[in-house]
Amino acid sequence: MKILVVDDSSTMRRIIINTLSRIGYTNVVEAEHGKAGLEKLAQGGVEMIITDWNMPEMDGLEFVGAVRGSDGSIPILMVTTNAAKEDIVSALQAGVNNYVVKPFTPETLKEKIESLLG
Amino acid sequence: MDQSEIDAIMGGGSGKGSGSKKHKGAQPAPKPPETTAPAPVPAPTPVATPPPASAKKDSEVSSSIPSVRVIGELGAVTAVTERETNKVMDKLDQISQLLDQQRILVTEMMGNESIQNPTIQSSVHQIMTACTEIQNKVYEAMDLMQFQDISRQKLERIMHHLRQIHDYILDLLGTGFQSQPAAKISLSNSIASTGTSPDENKTHADSVVDEFLRANKKG
Repeated sequence: MKILVVDDSSTMRRIIINTLSRIGYTNVVEAEHGKAGLEKLAQGGVEMIITDWNMPEMDGLEFVGAVRGSDGSIPILMVTTNAAKEDIVSALQAGVNNYVVKPFTPETLKEKIESLLG
Repeated sequence: MDQSEIDAIMGGGSGKGSGSKKHKGAQPAPKPPETTAPAPVPAPTPVATPPPASAKKDSEVSSSIPSVRVIGELGAVTAVTERETNKVMDKLDQISQLLDQQRILVTEMMGNESIQNPTIQSSVHQIMTACTEIQNKVYEAMDLMQFQDISRQKLERIMHHLRQIHDYILDLLGTGFQSQPAAKISLSNSIASTGTSPDENKTHADSVVDEFLRANKKG
């Protein structure tokens, strides 16, 4: 299972990647914004995406829109500080499958990933 | 913003720490004539005018303005804290790796027939339990580093508002200067109220997601 982690914070990418490693997902690629995420995605093999919302260049919502334009089935988990109800609804409407608000516990990330992967 | 900072913007004078830089276009008040004039004409108020294009680049002048400096300093703070947080993460990773090595050693040791003494076995078991506890604490410490990303976003929001105020004032004064355009940033509207307790918004987010998914299913 290859997972793409998109976040402009290197600290946050590291935390997510560490958490993924602890729950058994070690095949991870990372990108610092949506545009770089699309490039990684184009290289192929990614089976799940974990993305932030607030990023430079291309934000998470634009990124999700671009991904959904070509792939309607890849599971996307948004991990962001945006906690307002309208933000969560916007993300879901854009094509996000589930939503985690920062700061999160590893248990929450694990729960969401497992629910997305069925 | 204090008076010295406003003065610095108005006249390009020396605001806090800005040295003695002055806009070249700002002229001192002319001296009243020494002849016996009927009535002294009040000195005209100096007007801040932009320096000639050849005198200084906009960016050079702009960077001498306190608000621009503050924005730059806040940017540096976010960069430094991210770098230093990664150093802490490096150290935690090293502790984690050392713990793994110790656990491997202890596991190997436990298989050795020469230490089958129950007392030693019990001690070794306690060491293993302690290793696991330390490892969990290391993971918890790593997870707590999320505060850095949240603080960074809060600072970026402050920088964004400072930049807006800065540009507004300069526009109002007709200086023609603009702050250095920031790289495209995306700001969280709710970052100001975001805390640092893990999962504090989980129940709320989960209920919104569930409600959305249920509505979509019905639709």
